[in-house]
Amino acid sequence: MAYEEPVTDYDKIVENCTCAFCGSNCDDLDYLVKDNRVVAVRHACRLGASKIMEDEDQRLIVPMIRDETGELVETDWDTALDKAAELIANAVRPLFYGWSETSIECMKKGLKLTEYVGAVIDNQATICHGPTVQAVQNVGYPLMTLGEVKNRADMVVYSGSNPMNAHPRHLSRYTMFPRGWFRPRGRYDRTLVTWDPKFSDTAKMSDIWVPFEENGDYEFVNAIRAVLKGKELKKDVIAGIPKEDIIELTEAMKNVEFGALFFGLGLTHTLSKQRNIDIAIQLVQDLNAYTKWVLLPMRGHFNVNGFNIFLSYEMGFPYGVDFCRGYPRYMIGETTTIDLLNRREPDVFMVIAADPGAHFPGGALAHLTNIPVIQIDIHWGPSTELADVVLPGTFIGVETAGTSYRMDSVPIHMKKAIDPPETCREDEWIVNELYERVKKIKEASK
Amino acid sequence: MKTITLTPKKFSSIALEFDELIPDKVYDWNKEDFEKYEVPIGNSRFPLTDYFDIEIEGSAEGPEEVKMILDGDMGRVKYIGCKMSAGDILVNGDADLQVGAEMTGGSIKVNGNAESYAGREMKGGSLEIMGNVREYCGTSYIGEWRGMSDGIIKVHGNAGKQLADCMSGGEIYVDGGCDILAGIHMTKGYIEIGGDVTRWPAGQMKNGTVVIKGKLGRLLEGFEVEGIYKNPEIHGKQLTGKYIKYKGDIGVNGKGSLWLNAEKNRDLL
Ligand code: SF4
Repeated sequence: MAYEEPVTDYDKIVENCTCAFCGSNCDDLDYLVKDNRVVAVRHACRLGASKIMEDEDQRLIVPMIRDETGELVETDWDTALDKAAELIANAVRPLFYGWSETSIECMKKGLKLTEYVGAVIDNQATICHGPTVQAVQNVGYPLMTLGEVKNRADMVVYSGSNPMNAHPRHLSRYTMFPRGWFRPRGRYDRTLVTWDPKFSDTAKMSDIWVPFEENGDYEFVNAIRAVLKGKELKKDVIAGIPKEDIIELTEAMKNVEFGALFFGLGLTHTLSKQRNIDIAIQLVQDLNAYTKWVLLPMRGHFNVNGFNIFLSYEMGFPYGVDFCRGYPRYMIGETTTIDLLNRREPDVFMVIAADPGAHFPGGALAHLTNIPVIQIDIHWGPSTELADVVLPGTFIGVETAGTSYRMDSVPIHMKKAIDPPETCREDEWIVNELYERVKKIKEASK
Repeated sequence: MKTITLTPKKFSSIALEFDELIPDKVYDWNKEDFEKYEVPIGNSRFPLTDYFDIEIEGSAEGPEEVKMILDGDMGRVKYIGCKMSAGDILVNGDADLQVGAEMTGGSIKVNGNAESYAGREMKGGSLEIMGNVREYCGTSYIGEWRGMSDGIIKVHGNAGKQLADCMSGGEIYVDGGCDILAGIHMTKGYIEIGGDVTRWPAGQMKNGTVVIKGKLGRLLEGFEVEGIYKNPEIHGKQLTGKYIKYKGDIGVNGKGSLWLNAEKNRDLL
């Protein structure tokens, strides 16, 4: 990494901004602003800083509609909004997906629109921590705040997750390196454990690495639980781990003062899906007979947890909620985005603050090419290539203030630091405007 | 006796929902009632006659005198027989999601495959599927800790993942093979699998019985051998051959029993 001169040429510093990238929601960032642009970011990791600063790259600036030749052409807000509203008003199975990179305030408007037209509302949890949410509903949620981990934890386990790459400041800000009230020496007072088939960057810096075999998660945790209950293990190697190592690890986990288990998609999306989390939660419950243990999913986007909290609070269900019959329904495999797309049900797809074009499986994307897609976003991306109507929003946490929830469910106010481009509109405004226009069309046709 | 025959004539890729077309609700409907009826599709309702030819024969005093024949592919018709308490439904083709979900009585027979959630939270009656079922057959509603509580499900083909999770009663028979975690979290009831099982049957089971007549891919550490029995009588049924009996899942202090065919699972002896 080449040395970069510190930035000294700026007009003002906006302090205590919140990073709008990963679920760590670091809220200690300082933006150096010059001519209404963020020229440097202090305290953020490279992921966060580059998202905040290089945002102007490929920025969607003006509304666009795809014409008969298949090209996206620029248009005015009225035309674009009317077109989108007309598509939504006439749809039989509309699906509104995304929401994890926008504010709770915008989600609120989105839910109103969803309920009004009888659509399905879903967020990225459907392809990431959905299984976690299901397991939590089954067996409970022994969670904590990251502050507690910082001050108390002397053992931290990362399972199926690689925070060194995906949540770079997680270890330095919350779990491993900071000095806490009961951990005055920081890293030296803590043991870092990684359960991961891969020798990831987090595994490389861990004190203990447990490389259980791929898809062996459930069996591995089941064995630890059996050891906790006093069973003598029968097989010599369980899920790729020698039984002596499992016994040793179980002893170590029993004998800490405060343990925290963090897990990522490596646990939620292997063979037994939600049951991996289910059994991990039960393991944490078992360990609490000996000492304090807690658990937390490593949520990806800065507000993916916020959507689940918001929707559970409003509707009783965390994601994939279907209003087509007028009341909320939630059924994994039936009202969730990928399944609906694979079944080729939706006839209009609205994506807001998400990039299905980059993340969805081929079969689901194939259906998106057949139906009208409305995109509300700040960046040009693979989803723009699929979109028929593009509505450029604003950047939450930089250009627009809003509320988000950190991975440990702590709500955080995200500041506005600069003004958005003149031709863009706030996400919240766009969604509300769609609602008003759809309402007008529906009422006119009554 | 009243026979209602619905023959599909148009396909909709957006699923139709049939929860209102169960014997309990339609036993006194005549042809005009069916012709007036609009079936839920997405956020709208469309005339049932757009999608089906309808024929009615005979009359019925109650739902138990109704036989509904869904004569063709119902691969995009959800909630067939959902919450029904009496009568018969025959599906001459595949059935979509939630066939027989929450049924309390009567019988459903599917002459084809069934999608996921067949017999979810079933409380009584019988559901027979001649082909395969997908995931979550006879399971609970997401987050609910009680699944199927009574009734019988018979699957002549294979069953998918997490068959009968949180089962708290009733019986399930699968003639073919079964994927991971059959009977996970079960507290009561009986599951019999005729074919091979991939992995981890009965994880976190507290009580109840799982019998596997085929080969098991992988067993969990949470199960401990209790003994080997010849021609055991399980759940009032006489099985032939040698069976290994396990108790578990230890992780949850479970007292459930898992029976494995000893001949097919010699590696575990
Ligand atoms: S760790 Fe995450 S929230 Fe913190 S600065 Fe990096 S990307 Fe942003």
